[in-house]
Amino acid sequence: MKFDPSIPEDGINVSRTHPLREALLLVGGVAAIAIAVAVAAAVAVDLVAPHIPIELEVRLFSGWFDRGVEADEAVDPREQSLAKLLGRMAGHWPENPYAFEIAIWDIPEPNAVALPGGVIAVTDGLLENVESENELAFVLGHELGHFRNRDHLRGLGRGIAFSLLLVAVGVGGSSSAVELASLAGQFAQRGFDRDQEIEADRFGLALLAAEYGHVSGAEAFFEHLPELGGPLDGELASYYSTHPLNADRIQALRGMAHEMGWELRGERQPLLSLSPAR
Amino acid sequence: MVELGVRLGIPLALLVLAYFTGAAVERRHYASIRERELRWRSVPAITFRSVPPSWKVTECTLITGSVVISVDYFKRFLAGLRAIFGGRIKAYESLLDRARREALMRLKQKAVERGYHAIVNVRLETCRMANARNSESIAGLEVLAFGTAVKLRNAP
Amino acid sequence: MILSNIETVPGKEITRFFGVVSGSTVRAKHIGKDIMAGFKNIVGGELKAYTELIGEAREDAIGRMVREAESLGANAVVNIRFSTSSVAQGAAELFAYGTAVTVE
Ligand SMILES: [Zn+2]
Repeated sequence: MKFDPSIPEDGINVSRTHPLREALLLVGGVAAIAIAVAVAAAVAVDLVAPHIPIELEVRLFSGWFDRGVEADEAVDPREQSLAKLLGRMAGHWPENPYAFEIAIWDIPEPNAVALPGGVIAVTDGLLENVESENELAFVLGHELGHFRNRDHLRGLGRGIAFSLLLVAVGVGGSSSAVELASLAGQFAQRGFDRDQEIEADRFGLALLAAEYGHVSGAEAFFEHLPELGGPLDGELASYYSTHPLNADRIQALRGMAHEMGWELRGERQPLLSLSPAR
Repeated sequence: MVELGVRLGIPLALLVLAYFTGAAVERRHYASIRERELRWRSVPAITFRSVPPSWKVTECTLITGSVVISVDYFKRFLAGLRAIFGGRIKAYESLLDRARREALMRLKQKAVERGYHAIVNVRLETCRMANARNSESIAGLEVLAFGTAVKLRNAP
Repeated sequence: MILSNIETVPGKEITRFFGVVSGSTVRAKHIGKDIMAGFKNIVGGELKAYTELIGEAREDAIGRMVREAESLGANAVVNIRFSTSSVAQGAAELFAYGTAVTVE
């Protein structure tokens, strides 16, 4: 029995695949799956959302998003004037099936959201930064457009489908895998979001023209919004990604106004009783 | 766009940095392992439970060699993605290979420094040291090599 | 290649021995299996998908160990041991090692 001091061949226990090749393959794979799921979910939701009866929607979501005002609590006066303005705008949408509610959220960033069940939430930041009634009317008209197109349900459906995907990725993979999947998915859904915004703008613009006879204020709203607020993160960042406040959108607005023969200039109404409630 | 840049840029920079430094560290480690493997190739380290019959043992002792080695950010990233698809986690193979060979070399080095000639009944154990704050990622891997070092009258 | 987990190869004589040879592989299960196993965990029982996966991985590790032994010119590996350790969440390492020998 003799000892042989040979050393085994090097590298048998290590795969020879180049790490960068592996990285490319894996990143591409995760991104492809996330994009496929995001697009499939968006398409499926687009097919289903218009067929959900409004009564069902209202029944399902009633009470989810309103503030839950106590009986003895004073109603924010801003809410009343907003509701009045909303009523006027919705009046130009005769087949409107919703009974809308206004919610004011105590958030400094300017934002407005259409929520399932017929709730329109606007933030303090928005109310403090608009300069005329027309601008506010356009925002409300835009949100009404989301309701008409059932975009609020689409957003919700895509959000749910997307969260499921991220949970599945999170079960097996790391947090960076989740991050990668969410980036890829958001990128894929961006196109769907943008189309919705343009359509909502078109509807908002039509209501604005019907109410005031001109569409002054719509453009101004976008022009001074980008200067507001600082860098955003978290949930609010999604406002900027879904409501892209860029030249493209203003361009699209001008195009629509021109196409329909709506006047871009006109007298704007002052804001009434929208100063913050004491 | 700025927001996207921050979200992508920092991890990406970290990945690139980790890839290059990790690869350099690995290259250097392998060079050192190979050098020592050659230097101590004549010291037998075997898994036999008893010594070969021709050896005349004069002294023996339990001896250990261990190393805790950590994973770089790039490899951890790859492993995290691989866990979605399943299959070989190639990124961790070299890590374990290095750790094991390092532990074995430390075992041999210790034995030689104390005047022993060979190690029998070599065992290797692997233990994961979990990150205290984030249990899904690993802080490091410990590999322990142990065996019985023997002094021989007729050194091989 | 003769493999055994005893000191010798019965009926043959070891004429030459080398050092430790080893084979290892790190495997992860994919998400589908993970989720199925999650359901199975409720009722208990064998996780067939995992049994298969680990079995395959162990074969892989033995294969690599054998290749190391072959590269030395050995024709048997004796005193083989296995060790399985969880390297990361959802990933297991299968490790096999033994002493490469030449038997006649
Ligand atoms: Zn919108």
